[in-house]
Amino acid sequence: MELLTAIAIGILFALGVFQLLRRNIIRSAIGLIILANAVNLFLLSTGAYISIEPAYVSDTTGVLSDALPQALILTAIVISMGGTAFVLSMLYIISARYKTSDMDEVDGLKN
Amino acid sequence: MVHSHLAFLPILIPLTGAMIALLLGRRRSLQAVWTLGTMLAALASSSWLLAVVWRSGQPVVFQSGGWAAPFGISLIGDLLAAVFVVMSQLVLATGVLYAIGSKDSVVKYPTFYPLYLMLATSLSGAILTGDLFNMYVFAELLVISGTVLTAISDDRYGTEAAYKYFYISLLASFFMLLAVGCLYVSFGTLNMADLAKRIAADSGGQLLLPSIGFLMATFMVKSAVFPFHFWQPDFHTAAPTAVSAMLSSVVVKLGVYGFLRMTTLLFLPQAATIRSLLLALGVVGVVFGGLSALGTHNAKRMLAYSTLAQVGFILVGIGWGTPLAIAAAIVFAFNHSLIKAGMLMLAGYVASRASVKSASFDVVTGVGRSIPAAGVLFFIGSLGLAGIPPTNGFISKMFLFRSGIDGAAFGSLAFIGVGSILTLLYTMRAFQRIWWQDPPEGAKAKPVGDLLVAPFILIGLVLVLGLWAEPLVQVATDTSAWLGNPAGYIQAVMGG
Repeated sequence: MELLTAIAIGILFALGVFQLLRRNIIRSAIGLIILANAVNLFLLSTGAYISIEPAYVSDTTGVLSDALPQALILTAIVISMGGTAFVLSMLYIISARYKTSDMDEVDGLKN
Repeated sequence: MVHSHLAFLPILIPLTGAMIALLLGRRRSLQAVWTLGTMLAALASSSWLLAVVWRSGQPVVFQSGGWAAPFGISLIGDLLAAVFVVMSQLVLATGVLYAIGSKDSVVKYPTFYPLYLMLATSLSGAILTGDLFNMYVFAELLVISGTVLTAISDDRYGTEAAYKYFYISLLASFFMLLAVGCLYVSFGTLNMADLAKRIAADSGGQLLLPSIGFLMATFMVKSAVFPFHFWQPDFHTAAPTAVSAMLSSVVVKLGVYGFLRMTTLLFLPQAATIRSLLLALGVVGVVFGGLSALGTHNAKRMLAYSTLAQVGFILVGIGWGTPLAIAAAIVFAFNHSLIKAGMLMLAGYVASRASVKSASFDVVTGVGRSIPAAGVLFFIGSLGLAGIPPTNGFISKMFLFRSGIDGAAFGSLAFIGVGSILTLLYTMRAFQRIWWQDPPEGAKAKPVGDLLVAPFILIGLVLVLGLWAEPLVQVATDTSAWLGNPAGYIQAVMGG
């Protein structure tokens, strides 16, 4: 299960980075969202974490997992939600101004 | 500790001020005056903190909620943090003054001042906090308030520049979260003093090196250090003048602060490696920033590239790493904040008098003919940036060069010498274009523009600190001595 989690997080990272580097600005924003989730999952896996037991308290093994990373994730989720909303609203303004979603055509800053 | 609340006040005052300023949204002049009062009160509280810390020789530690050190969040006002907070709030207070006298339409926006106060809150918070995750939260708040202030700028490309910056900063904050995760899983704590203690005791964790790399990347983005600088000139050019003067002077110092903490507290066993990397990046930044500033066609953009070079100077100081060089880096950081904020305000002032609102050299050529007072200030500021007496820039450059000669680092000294000459070249070229050349036919300067009060105060301070540099140099030397003794810091935070 640990291996599976690690691989899943790795795939999420790869997907996120790949989308992030696309020219389409909407795709790259989606890449940002995927990356945010990958980072949060990574933080989750830093707490004590045993096999398929629930990540918080386990009745069967008696292991209490560390609650701090989960508190960190809660904060990080809220912040990344605000960040994502802000990114999308700026994206809306930019794509409305240039009538395109291709990053190469958003070139106002070059001059 | 008697004065423990002092470490909390520089965060609490602007935060409360921002909330009340939000309620005053409909009464603009009252809101502006309230913001100025709040910033001055915050400045007073942080100066008080500096005075108490310096006189008592003990860091002021505030354990929030009364939880003992590794469990709660500690706010720590040691000498380094106090100096940086005083520096930030001094410049931020003059920024409010500039905004009050500004003709930009962005300052009439009802949330401009609350956002500005949030910028002040988050900057003070990120500096004063002793907890890595708390620093992430404050850094994120800093990024968001800075970005919104730029996105609503009068400049029509403000939104794009803000988007570019926010995008990079979100990535930087992912890096910081990854570093937090790596450190937490290896050492089981996020309190910086506790982390420092555990890392010094056992640096065998496999995730330690990645976490150093992630933190380095984070602070490099925050400070716009060479390979991660590409967002900075656009962002600092498009921001409203009152804001860009803050972004380019004090906000970039957060990364510098982070590097100082990394090399003197957190990662002592690995400090030599980090320092050699910082030295190389600093030298590249000095030369690259200087050359880029020479090649620009816009006064604000020139100053933004100049920040890249000046941060490079500071990194070189941190990279040398001797107590003298660290003191020089702190003096340099303090002086650069004052000079750069003043210069950017002057550039914005000139732009506000030009026929089209822009700081492009084609537009502002000859505009200075009708504003000789700003010319004198700009000239003094240029001398400061280039490091010529009687300005404080001379003090910081001399201090840095002396520490380099002491450390026999002649290779990097030669490079930063070249960088200094480049500084003189580009500032003098800007001065000549704006104040000496005749305006082109038909171009007419506007009779009124922004007020000169704020740049006057800053450039005045540049002169005062150049002629009477002893207190600042003394504080910096003491700070450097404190940084040489991380055990004292750890003991003050953890107790016992």
